[in-house]
Amino acid sequence: MSLLVLTGIPVGLAFGFALSRGRFCMNSAFRDIIVMKDYALIKAVGVALLVAMIGFALMDLTGVIAINPKPLFWGANMLGGFVFGIGMVLAGGCASGITYRTGEGMVGAMSAVAGFAIVAVATAAGAFKPVVTFLQSSTKVTLADGGSPTLANVFGIPYYALALGIAAVAIILWVIFAVRGRKAEKEEKAPLGTRIFKKGWGWTSTGIVIGIISIIAFPASAAAGRNYPLGITGGWKTLLLSFETGQNSLTWESFLIIGTIVGACIAALIAGEFKLRAPAPNVIIQTFFGGALMGFGAIVSKGCNVGHILSGVPQLSLGSILGGAFIVLGCWFMAYWLFLRPMRKLGA
Amino acid sequence: MSDEVKVNQTLDVRGEICPNPDVKSMTALEKMEKGQILEVLIDYPLSLERIPRNAENRKHKVLKIEQISGPEHRILIEAKANR
Repeated sequence: MSLLVLTGIPVGLAFGFALSRGRFCMNSAFRDIIVMKDYALIKAVGVALLVAMIGFALMDLTGVIAINPKPLFWGANMLGGFVFGIGMVLAGGCASGITYRTGEGMVGAMSAVAGFAIVAVATAAGAFKPVVTFLQSSTKVTLADGGSPTLANVFGIPYYALALGIAAVAIILWVIFAVRGRKAEKEEKAPLGTRIFKKGWGWTSTGIVIGIISIIAFPASAAAGRNYPLGITGGWKTLLLSFETGQNSLTWESFLIIGTIVGACIAALIAGEFKLRAPAPNVIIQTFFGGALMGFGAIVSKGCNVGHILSGVPQLSLGSILGGAFIVLGCWFMAYWLFLRPMRKLGA
Repeated sequence: MSDEVKVNQTLDVRGEICPNPDVKSMTALEKMEKGQILEVLIDYPLSLERIPRNAENRKHKVLKIEQISGPEHRILIEAKANR
């Protein structure tokens, strides 16, 4: 284990701080679209993906990094993603969400993390491993040279060119919509210190900061032997596995997790938002179970919302695009039954 | 806590996980009559920002948001004020 894995800690501190200040949770981002018809968080996700895509493309072009898209195993990506999506809704948060909210003192998130880590290890290295092996090996699709398919390489376009092209289109669309929807600014802006540490961040700032952290994460993690940007599942898996067996399986991602929890805790403390608080006992059981589904789904699909959506989609990995799409579908499926349908019946 | 406003219903969603504070608040507001006041007690930062935003989108009126202590806040919303 290279000592460079320790750079996961400062990156994690920044990540946790930003997640907390930005209230950045991809479960809420997707679920709010259909349940609340609220789009603040999905816009933040979009901005983060856009910034990361531009950064990864430029780094790939200049040789700072070499992209490392996750493999496509369509059966595993679909099933794992769907189960993960269902789990997120029961857990009340995505993988990064339950991680950072653990640092803010929320016992419901801690319970979800426990389920997540325990079942992730069982799926990666224990009782459920045969499911992974079967699904991944029987539905794997690679390029002729054995590499992972991406939107770019299946069409024979260089990655950086397609990524920058997509980013350009996205920016043009963003500008068009922003100009059309321009409202007069009513509020006076609070002082900068207050806006950074005390109040929540807006979606644009949150997306940009998270995107930048993604960009920094890639070369930092690569230098430490793990050639991939941000992730969550692997971090928890390696922490628990090392803890239980005494064998050091720690990676850069393990230290990212530690940093993320501490960073979120510090952010909450400064903002006066830290408090140990718990939901009702049946909800604690529910979030544990939701986390368990997430752990299973993430290992089967070889990615969670961070590994696939935040980190994989900007690399244009087909496995991550498919896995990510099914995470959203699983989320919407569960959110419909758990929230939307009951709300409609009550007239909300 | 002193009220200048008469609260018709208090919803205490402290400790609840996402998105229960929002779902319960929006549902309660729909069931209330126009002009009635809902008081929401909440300690989840994301919902603290999301509930006022969505209440206003649904034509309710946010009267006040005040901190109780730490993450605990109190939101006063007038149901269907702008409908």
